[in-house]
Amino acid sequence: MAELTYREAVIEGIAQEMRRDEKVVFLGEDIGKAGGVFKATVGLWDEFGDLRVRDTPISEQAILGAAMGAAMTGLRPIAEIMFSDFLAVCWDIVTNQIAKSRYMTGGQVDLPLVIRTANGGGARFGAQHSQSVENWAMMIPGIKVVAPSTPADVKGLLAAAIRDPDPVIFFEQKSLYATKGEVPDGEHVDEIGKAKVVREGDDVTILALALMVPRALEAAERLQAEAGISASVVDIRSLVPLDTQTILSQVKKTARVVTVEENPRLCGWGAEIASIIAEECFYDLDMPIVRITTPHIPLSSADELEDAMIPSADRIFETVRQEVD
Amino acid sequence: MDVIMPQMGETVAEGTLTVWHKKVGDTVNSSDILFEIGTDKVEMEVPALADGVLTEILVEAGETVVVGTKLAVIEGAGEAAAPVAEKTEAPKAAPAGPAASTPAVELPKRDRSMKLSPVVRKLLAENNLSHTDITGTGRDGRIKRGDVLEYLKGGAATAPTAPIPAEAPGAISGEGITVVPFSYRRKMTAEHMVRSKATSPHVLQAVEVDFSGVNKARQAIGADWKRREGYSLTYLPFIAKAVCSAIKEFPHINGHIEKDHLVVFDRVNLAMAVDLNFEGLVAPVIRDADLKAVTEIARATNELARRARANELTPEEFANATYTISNNGSFGTLITAPIINQPQVAILSTDGITKRPLVIEQDGEDLIAIRPVGILAQSFDHRAIDGSYSGAFMRRVKEILEGKNWVEAVS
Repeated sequence: MAELTYREAVIEGIAQEMRRDEKVVFLGEDIGKAGGVFKATVGLWDEFGDLRVRDTPISEQAILGAAMGAAMTGLRPIAEIMFSDFLAVCWDIVTNQIAKSRYMTGGQVDLPLVIRTANGGGARFGAQHSQSVENWAMMIPGIKVVAPSTPADVKGLLAAAIRDPDPVIFFEQKSLYATKGEVPDGEHVDEIGKAKVVREGDDVTILALALMVPRALEAAERLQAEAGISASVVDIRSLVPLDTQTILSQVKKTARVVTVEENPRLCGWGAEIASIIAEECFYDLDMPIVRITTPHIPLSSADELEDAMIPSADRIFETVRQEVD
Repeated sequence: MDVIMPQMGETVAEGTLTVWHKKVGDTVNSSDILFEIGTDKVEMEVPALADGVLTEILVEAGETVVVGTKLAVIEGAGEAAAPVAEKTEAPKAAPAGPAASTPAVELPKRDRSMKLSPVVRKLLAENNLSHTDITGTGRDGRIKRGDVLEYLKGGAATAPTAPIPAEAPGAISGEGITVVPFSYRRKMTAEHMVRSKATSPHVLQAVEVDFSGVNKARQAIGADWKRREGYSLTYLPFIAKAVCSAIKEFPHINGHIEKDHLVVFDRVNLAMAVDLNFEGLVAPVIRDADLKAVTEIARATNELARRARANELTPEEFANATYTISNNGSFGTLITAPIINQPQVAILSTDGITKRPLVIEQDGEDLIAIRPVGILAQSFDHRAIDGSYSGAFMRRVKEILEGKNWVEAVS
């Protein structure tokens, strides 16, 4: 095991797959010589060269259009959208073209491509560069949606996404880029569609994704120490496909469930999961389902305001302590 | 030093202090057995863990108390001895109130005092209870899931099932009789057996099995096994393996009955009834038995039996069984009608296997052969399945035991 940062795990994941399969190519804005605006692609251009690691003009539609064409003609492209907010200009190509090609061609066209993008807040980038838009992607039939919380998961799930025969949107949380964690040595490939129980508890299940996972874990430790509440924490990892088996079994065990979501409240992913829980195990619930989310407002670039908007470990702790009785 | 009710496994919140081995005024050594405790799963002897004099007993034998309760006081405890209080897990801390560092986040208060959650309603309905039977310990007196579960654990005698048969009132040893008080485990067994019979319409079905094929495998590796492992390779792991294989084709055998539905499990967690030298019965569990080879099941069974008899099993090792085998073979019994281990669907008894004349067909001719033959008997719950399904399952178990190449399976 080596200790890597979340951004080094991105580089390792891409490099591992590019070394393994020459069909894997990488394109995006400033990803080459500059090594990426978040320095999450440093060294790839040096190793794999101009042909396989391509800087593009500032046109997100062109990036994804090129990636789609490359995938249709036999390559396995990884396309970077620098900020996930910019996916908004790409939705036609993503939702109507990329996500629908397999269906519209009766299965004749595979699109094995990955859209990597820096998602979420906490870095003071303001309302247009800080959004957590995983719920936008979750709504599109025909696309897989992955959002890792640890360096090991970044590498393993990115490798799995690149090998996947279908399009995957891969959300990297930009505030996590500098965080460190153990990553298995050698080839590391994980499985898309499996949640992970990262802390076992008896009294309440906290469902979290990406940046919310370490915050939920911190809150869970404090709940145990300060309130005697034993919390399970589940890292959802993949919104599509969603590991309902793991989620529902934890909910049944604890009878109480709290979602912690960075996306804005309305139609956040937790709403979908709450609806599944209500349908599948209503009679196992001992408390209303509680959602902790960013409010339905544009994010501020001011430090204190942004911190108050995005769920913090303190807010998770307080909410769970007050709701679990 | 305070003697504290210890934590006996993660899932256990309380236990019954069954016996004190010392009385007030006795001198105790740290290694002396001070008292025994029982939960619904295990009994355990607890050492004093400190030298000194037992000056106070605060909880009498027979009382059920929560983990962390102060039970007694030992005075003059030596510095070197580790006090019990430090060796056991602390009880769940009461909410400590808002910590100084927490921000002022105030949530709208919900009045839930008179509301029953879905899971509480379900539990009350399943157990024919009224919410007025339960004392709520949640906010504003709300009844929580845990309150109902606590009530059900503590209130077995008042539950709608038949009460535990009481000891003969007034009988005393002497006048030509001996009164044997039920041990804690005896009482728990009695309660479970009565409840199971009252809950499940039991149906018994039995098949006669020719164990020649199994015997070949036992003969092939038996001597070597005994030398290497230190105990005999019995018929039991082969039967267990055949049961697990047959369950794949008849999954409803491997389930739990819940009210009006059957919960069917993918994996087989096989409980093995173990007799504690006539001192009681326990059924520890081999987890994922369906993934294990015959030899792995043999080792797991032997290890569980050894640890059961040494009283080393933890409550977790009894949990989540999906099917049970009761092995009476060593007594040479012909057939046993076992009682279902609730809430499972069925239970199998394995009885004596002896050489018997058996009519077999060879090259179109009927011959009498000498074969090791035994009867496998299964009690099933007629609520969950019917005789045809159980019978087909038993036929499959027999086919596997008689037809599989067991020599290959163990080598």
